[in-house]
Amino acid sequence: MNLGISAKEFISQVREGSLSVEEFVAKTLDRINQVEGKVHAFITVDKNAIDKAKELDKKIKSKEKVGKCFGLPISVKDNICTAGIRTTCASKMLENFVPPYDATVISKLKSEDAIIIGKVNLDEFAMGSTTEHSYFGPSKNPWNPEYVPGGSSGGSGVSVSALECIVSLGSDTGGSVRSPASFCSVVGLKPTYGLVSRYGLVSYANSIEQIGPIARRVEDIAFILNIIAGKDEHDNTTLDNKNEDYLTGLDSGISGRRIGVISQMIAEGIDDDVFSATNNAIEKLQSLGAECIPVSLDAVEYSVAAYYTIAAAEASSNLARYDNLRYGFDFGLEGYEFNAYVSKVRSNFGQEVTRRMLLGAFVLSAGYYGKYYLKAQKARSMIKSQIDKAFKQVDLLISPTMPILPFKIGEKINDPLKLYLSDINTITANLSGIPAISVPFAFSKSGLPIGIQLLANSLEEKKLLQAAYALQSITRLPEISI
Amino acid sequence: MVERREIEHLGDLVRIELKDPEKFIKQVEEILNYFDKLDNVQFDSDQTLRKEISMENLRDDIHEPFDNYRKLIAELKKDQNNYTRAPKMI
Amino acid sequence: MTKIGLEVHCQLTKLESKLFCKCKTNYRTLPPNSNICTICTGLPGSLPMLNRKAVEKATMISLALNCKIPEKISFFRKNYFYPDLPKNFQITQYNAYGPTSIGSDGKIGIEGKEIRIRRIQLEEDPGRLIYEGSSEKTMVTLVDYNRAGTPLVEIVTEPDFETPKQVRIFLNVLADLVENIGISDPYLEGALRVDANISMGEGNRVEIKNVGSFRDVEKALHFEITRQTSLIERNIPVQAETRHWDDARRITVSSRSKEEEQDYRYLPEADIPIIVMNRDSIEYMKKQMPESIVARRERYIQKYDISPQVADVLSSDRFYSDLFEKSHNEKNAKEVANIITTDLMGFADTREKKMELKITAQHVSDLANSIVNNKLTRNSAKIALQEMVKDGKPLADVVAKLDLGHVSDMSSIEKIIDEVFQDELQAVSEAKQNPDTINYLVGKVMRKTKGKADPTVTLDIIRKKLSTQE
Repeated sequence: MNLGISAKEFISQVREGSLSVEEFVAKTLDRINQVEGKVHAFITVDKNAIDKAKELDKKIKSKEKVGKCFGLPISVKDNICTAGIRTTCASKMLENFVPPYDATVISKLKSEDAIIIGKVNLDEFAMGSTTEHSYFGPSKNPWNPEYVPGGSSGGSGVSVSALECIVSLGSDTGGSVRSPASFCSVVGLKPTYGLVSRYGLVSYANSIEQIGPIARRVEDIAFILNIIAGKDEHDNTTLDNKNEDYLTGLDSGISGRRIGVISQMIAEGIDDDVFSATNNAIEKLQSLGAECIPVSLDAVEYSVAAYYTIAAAEASSNLARYDNLRYGFDFGLEGYEFNAYVSKVRSNFGQEVTRRMLLGAFVLSAGYYGKYYLKAQKARSMIKSQIDKAFKQVDLLISPTMPILPFKIGEKINDPLKLYLSDINTITANLSGIPAISVPFAFSKSGLPIGIQLLANSLEEKKLLQAAYALQSITRLPEISI
Repeated sequence: MVERREIEHLGDLVRIELKDPEKFIKQVEEILNYFDKLDNVQFDSDQTLRKEISMENLRDDIHEPFDNYRKLIAELKKDQNNYTRAPKMI
Repeated sequence: MTKIGLEVHCQLTKLESKLFCKCKTNYRTLPPNSNICTICTGLPGSLPMLNRKAVEKATMISLALNCKIPEKISFFRKNYFYPDLPKNFQITQYNAYGPTSIGSDGKIGIEGKEIRIRRIQLEEDPGRLIYEGSSEKTMVTLVDYNRAGTPLVEIVTEPDFETPKQVRIFLNVLADLVENIGISDPYLEGALRVDANISMGEGNRVEIKNVGSFRDVEKALHFEITRQTSLIERNIPVQAETRHWDDARRITVSSRSKEEEQDYRYLPEADIPIIVMNRDSIEYMKKQMPESIVARRERYIQKYDISPQVADVLSSDRFYSDLFEKSHNEKNAKEVANIITTDLMGFADTREKKMELKITAQHVSDLANSIVNNKLTRNSAKIALQEMVKDGKPLADVVAKLDLGHVSDMSSIEKIIDEVFQDELQAVSEAKQNPDTINYLVGKVMRKTKGKADPTVTLDIIRKKLSTQE
């Protein structure tokens, strides 16, 4: 049995009867047992998965109506609420938290009979780009376990690339779906802000974040997007995508498309292998009929400062609720005064979360709002306006997803600013709300994955996925060996 | 120059007891200095990136009990009368 | 120069559901933590869902207080930690970066004084705290989130009040207003809460919080004025501070120094989009709103020729002006207004008494019609009313029981006048010289007829008799 099949292949095999869901799920659970010691993608594995698989096989056998997913095994980033399954956000603060409800994306997938294999690792509360800031320990890159898998949705990237599931749901605030996608050689999409409901996504930076799918194939991304996208009555920030079908016409190709190469993202300072891979990708796209021209977005210079200002500010507010009084972990309140208790329990936040909370408190504190937060929002508007201008000239934008290669675990953990700067290519899409996708493209000489990022304007996922699909079609990637 | 006192004040604002405030001084300062770059942002536009909706798109005023109250109350930390306990604020 | 400003929190108790979720707005009799959901307990991943009717009701109060309604409104987070706040922030509105709350720059007239309304904002109520065990010495507080998320409208005035009495009148008018435009039941426990701030002369501003019932606000302010006056007289500066009202001891007590201003680190609430206020909806709401007190007053004067004093009294009490609306017609309007303001209001002046009042519009209109049609004298009507108030019996029954029928036929009155003339020989001779004494004789006739004689007719006959006598 080939665990590396795509969702499309899985569904068609189950549908035609040549594959039993139970067998596949059982094999998947075996695989998880086999590799988890090396990669640590999962926080919780759902033992009920096999029962759900059995039920589904029965339904299929008796020709009952079955959802589109036909038992597709998916992993879910542990900051997305799953009813009855512990949701920890990789934090001590939510160590024992079991949500009494499903996130909208989970309800949607469950009603289409997807099977949740388990909850996967992340940087605590989605703050980080390496998954090293997890309370449960880091996840490791399956292509080389001494290296980081990217983050914050590291567990998603790892579980998909290590064949522990077919598809995963992550979340992307500053690149957290695209960075692990790039570092783990899989596909990862950050949808337009508002395309996918955030109801059930534990808030970190709520004006920016989006849930996004990670898969091995672009067509699987489109398949999942069809299920999870759309207006949701539980989330007032969602948009009406008029039931767009992202799968039809996926293979239309990119002939005649104009693609802008973001000059600020292919400049000095990026890794040599990344640089040459990007140029290679541009050539390949041109050979498919696209026209690639340089585009300058000088507002990118402010993007990291703007992003971290806004994200930290929102985080300091979104995480205020974690006082261990309603849910959390065991810690008696006898003998404490209120403020002392709250401060004590919250000392269990990790370093990165603490750092961002302090920064967030600072930029919002009396007198500083205008200097930092307001300016950051201005920078955001400026970026969007330059993006809009660019999209008058081109259909898509392209850049390497990460300016650097995956690095060793522990290498950058004491230099937060340096890490923040490595998000410079991904942050633009988050700040402006436009969709962006990372497509695995190449490997470095040292055997580390390199992803290429494509961006489109708001609600143009269809165009974006077509281009990603085209790029995928001329890319040959090695199989995972772990 | 970020001082220990300022870090402690920030820790107090977000209610996080800092075992070692000194540790954060250098990094917070470095990052804040980097944020100063925003001073150079010159952009005036009425356009906001925030979504705008009209009143018709808001929720109707209908009462509906939460559909999974049993699970909700089961998960909530509480005493025998279903109150949540909290230390008193002095 | 005493300056008093108010911050009034009014729950929108007339709504079915909370501000951001579908839980009930009326929590008062419910068992602890039984009226909750993921949103009002601030569970991870929950998102606020704004109640359209809450925006409408808040708009109505803004219109009623003559506020400007902005084109777009938005929400902010006020960040602070407290046991009753499930998210450790409150979703509220904030105007520091532009007028984005539901109303601003309004005004209302209170007995000739104009009170400016600085702003009106929509926000959520926190949960409720009670103490574990009975004593206040216990270290644990119990939290009930049933109330968390209940919609509130916060009304902030400029410090335009000069006396506690003005404050009391304003609060009564406000309570009346919110009840009558259908947004709140202000007499429900906790539905209308008031914080006041007061400064005297050049002195510092003192905030008074935690005044239990809004009737106590006047008392608290009186106490505070006394306290501050005595400090001023001894040349001791009044500290800028927050004080709370101690209901048991009937005094204000210092809570914390106002110097420690909390840093609320306001930021926009990104989970709620900006709401574009529909101008047409606002116009529609304006038309839907019950007639304002001012408009009613004008109508009473212009249309029914009711005197301004009576119109003032009648229009500012919604219970009685509603009664007027139901009981009157073109012919008896003035009389109805008189009956209500002169006689009925005296019987039932508090909310409780009004609720128990057995007098209906039918009673009032019957009474007024009897007077207008000369079936009853005003005196008799007063007596009849007194009787009807007791058990709500219809007028006809009362008139029969007390034999209150009008005596207006000339011969019966003449007969009684003759009797009185016999009894009051002295008065009669005085009356010939001094016309004022005639009233004394009229009074005697009225007493003899138990008020049933028509005073006009009586006076006429007496005058005639006196002039023909010699």
